[in-house]
Amino acid sequence: MSLRLEDLKYDALHCVRCSNCKWMDHVYMKSYRFSQICPSLKRYLFDAYSCQGRLDIALAIMNKKLEYTPTLLDIIYKCTLCGACDVMCKRCMDLEPLQVLEALRVKWIESGGEILPEHRKLIENIENTNNIYGEAHERRLESISKEVVLKEKADVIYFVGCASAYKYPEIAHATIEILRKCETEFTLLYPDEWCCGNPLYAIGRIDLMKKVMEHNLKAIRETGASVVITSCAACYKTLKVDYPKLLKKSTDEMEFKVMHIVEYLDRLLKDGRLKLKELNMKLTYHDPCQLGRLSEPWIHWEGKRKKYGLLDPPKKFRRGTYGVYDPPRNLLKSIRGVELIEMERIKENAWCCGAGGGVKQAFPDFALWTASERLEEAKATGAEAIVTACPFCKENFEDAVKAAGEKIKVYDITEIIRKVLV
Amino acid sequence: MKGKTSLPKEVYQALEAIVGPDYISDDPAICQAYARGGYGTFIYDKNSYPPACVILPGNTKEVQHIVKVCNRYEIPFIPISTYYISFCAPARPNVVMMDLKRMNRLIKIDEKNMYAIVEPYVSHSQLQVEAFKRGLYTISLGCGGQASVLANHIHSGLGPLGYRVGFNGSRRILGVEWVLPNGEILRLGSPSVLKEYFWGEGPGPDLRGILRGLLGHFGGLGVVTKIAVKLFPFIPPKEAPIEPVGVTPKATLKLPTNRMKWYNIRYPTLESMINGMYEISKAEIGAMVYSVPPIWIYIARSESRNELWEKWSKDKEKFRKEGFYFLRVLLVGYTSEKQLRYEERVLKDIASETGAIRISEGRPFDRSWIIGSDSVTVYNVAGVELSTRFAFDSIDVAAKMLTSIAKLRDKYVPPFYDTADFGWIHSNDLGHIAYGEFLTYLDSEDVDLGEKFETLCIEKDLEERAYCGLQNPGRHRMLGPKMGNYHLILEKIKKSFDPKNLSNPPKPIDNI
Repeated sequence: MSLRLEDLKYDALHCVRCSNCKWMDHVYMKSYRFSQICPSLKRYLFDAYSCQGRLDIALAIMNKKLEYTPTLLDIIYKCTLCGACDVMCKRCMDLEPLQVLEALRVKWIESGGEILPEHRKLIENIENTNNIYGEAHERRLESISKEVVLKEKADVIYFVGCASAYKYPEIAHATIEILRKCETEFTLLYPDEWCCGNPLYAIGRIDLMKKVMEHNLKAIRETGASVVITSCAACYKTLKVDYPKLLKKSTDEMEFKVMHIVEYLDRLLKDGRLKLKELNMKLTYHDPCQLGRLSEPWIHWEGKRKKYGLLDPPKKFRRGTYGVYDPPRNLLKSIRGVELIEMERIKENAWCCGAGGGVKQAFPDFALWTASERLEEAKATGAEAIVTACPFCKENFEDAVKAAGEKIKVYDITEIIRKVLV
Repeated sequence: MKGKTSLPKEVYQALEAIVGPDYISDDPAICQAYARGGYGTFIYDKNSYPPACVILPGNTKEVQHIVKVCNRYEIPFIPISTYYISFCAPARPNVVMMDLKRMNRLIKIDEKNMYAIVEPYVSHSQLQVEAFKRGLYTISLGCGGQASVLANHIHSGLGPLGYRVGFNGSRRILGVEWVLPNGEILRLGSPSVLKEYFWGEGPGPDLRGILRGLLGHFGGLGVVTKIAVKLFPFIPPKEAPIEPVGVTPKATLKLPTNRMKWYNIRYPTLESMINGMYEISKAEIGAMVYSVPPIWIYIARSESRNELWEKWSKDKEKFRKEGFYFLRVLLVGYTSEKQLRYEERVLKDIASETGAIRISEGRPFDRSWIIGSDSVTVYNVAGVELSTRFAFDSIDVAAKMLTSIAKLRDKYVPPFYDTADFGWIHSNDLGHIAYGEFLTYLDSEDVDLGEKFETLCIEKDLEERAYCGLQNPGRHRMLGPKMGNYHLILEKIKKSFDPKNLSNPPKPIDNI
């Protein structure tokens, strides 16, 4: 695997411009209304904002046929990197379109391209305070840590993440309460937890991302933990997929296993260790991209394209098959009284919430527009609340609800589980 | 691909006044995304230019005004909707690319009269799923559900469901709204006098033949902004819902076996299989009848290109020695379960009477032909595909044409086709016409070989006096002199409709 754009030239060149990257899987399509899958293209319409358009642009940059314009910067970063295009393309093709989009950003940064002011701020915040908000590092786990019996060594770590530490402490509190009720012994990386680096990876600041990663890995290693639990889909994908990717390893070669809280609780549910009481609610579930189609274990591959595009050695492609789709659904369905009504675009076909890829910071209007599209879909189910498993999805949905004066409620799944803990 | 082109400021401003600043751009990055054509990039659109600007009209009036501005300043324009097909990349500098994405309304589905009215950016799968809800259906395309209903109907409209709904997309077109290359709006059929689109044949001349020609005009005769297409009766969804199951890339449709069943029939020889196709068609049973090349089975069963190559290399000799004549038939009890049971009995009798080696019920799933095919999968064989041989004739002529290139095939397209593979054939219009296609897989670093093979295939068509199938407007001039000088007629049509040669020049024929 490479984040060097030139190593992905074959992938960009062999796009056949079929447009499958723009639509959900046809066999799962249920209506005209909710059939597209790329927020960037649906919002900005020009093909340059689609995956296939961006592959053309990547190719032109590699061939030195395209120079900087402000619009080029806009095109490169007005994408949530949700991976829908990638999964839809890879139904049919052995190409890596998402890697091209990521490598395009890396190339942009490495060749001295302009960094959007909001991204620059984000980078500075992480560099200076180890979190995305620029808040004091000392405050990161200050109140949360009081709820946990902290230990130097533990088998299980709860990696809280910036959003739950600073902005949505209710998610962290809920997660801790659930873990305690389930008699899970765990600790926090207090005071050593830093931002996981997800936004740095998304922006293309791989150098800084590596620094952050090395710090967090050292802190995890020192606890001797074999399991790291997250309640944030972005942290989950970063720890499970991007860390091994940057270390040139496969996920299963890492020293610890990364679990999202929904996976952990689903296991406890199956073991009979999680008891839940009744809750009468009509809910719909939103698959966070980074918990769903983007979260498949990373499989390290190094090799080259040969004649006819064959790969030497053969490579196992990640096509979105093994995302975390069922555990959150199992949990919600196991609550007596909960009616889980699915939206039309779910699992690998889910429409992104709009917050990822640095979009929420740099293009808040686009982020809100994307969320409002999803809320339309959620409302069409008749559900009274949309449940997700990522604080960034929650934040963006809440902002969209507020901006439009909607009535639908927004929950993180930990908040729902906390309500029904026996 | 060539370098940047640009428009005079005055022209840009005139265009911007039509759509507003949000829907036009001449930024090089925006234009770059329209500089490549479709699936034939390596072959067909290789000398293309980026357009000078991209414009997104929102309605027919805006399209008309754009075309008029282009005429006033003699600037070429190209309409584009869902991509994939080639010949839409600018072959001239300073082209206005008209991206029709904002014209995406599924205007109406008339359940009673069984037709739908669509704008250019409505995809086939969007229409199909809405039609299914109403107990109706349309064709599912060979090129996939992501393709535009409108663009595909005026291009080819092909797919195995053509067995019942008809081979030729233009016969499924009813009323049409068409902005001609000079900016006039022409309405064909009932919309020429009414607001309704239910009728295609007049009053006035029926120009749907010109609209489509052999394989469409590739935007060379203006911009079709609205069409009505026929829909056909299907099983009411409450009686037998078709449900999606599985996870990507193995997601598929689960068929209701009380109303829909696949059958696989293996024949000992090509002749017996062709005979079987005729007999099935004569009995007027089935919803799709098509032959399957062995490599498709390997494509479907492989998880990657490497795995496909490995398995195919190991097994292909077997197909060379033994041949592979494999028919797939979808039976649908459109009206009742009883109809399905009747058709099953008839099919089994036909298989027996035509000497089939085996007939077996297929697995009750479909990923390919009911809502949207993932035919792009064929590219995963080698990265580049070029359909070099087509047949639009009877079933046996299709078989004859596809098999007559065996020696050429062995010489020009190894390592894949040094086998008994000859492509695929599907029966249309209840067996009255067949579509045959031979797909060639190429090394993208050596496409010359494929182009040479394509030329030789066309020469072979001419030698055999076959009805040449082609998809490349660059070949009209090669074929025309040997086929009644039809290319001169195409030239006349182009000159009458587009005297300034502005609508995706030089389509529908190569340089005038």
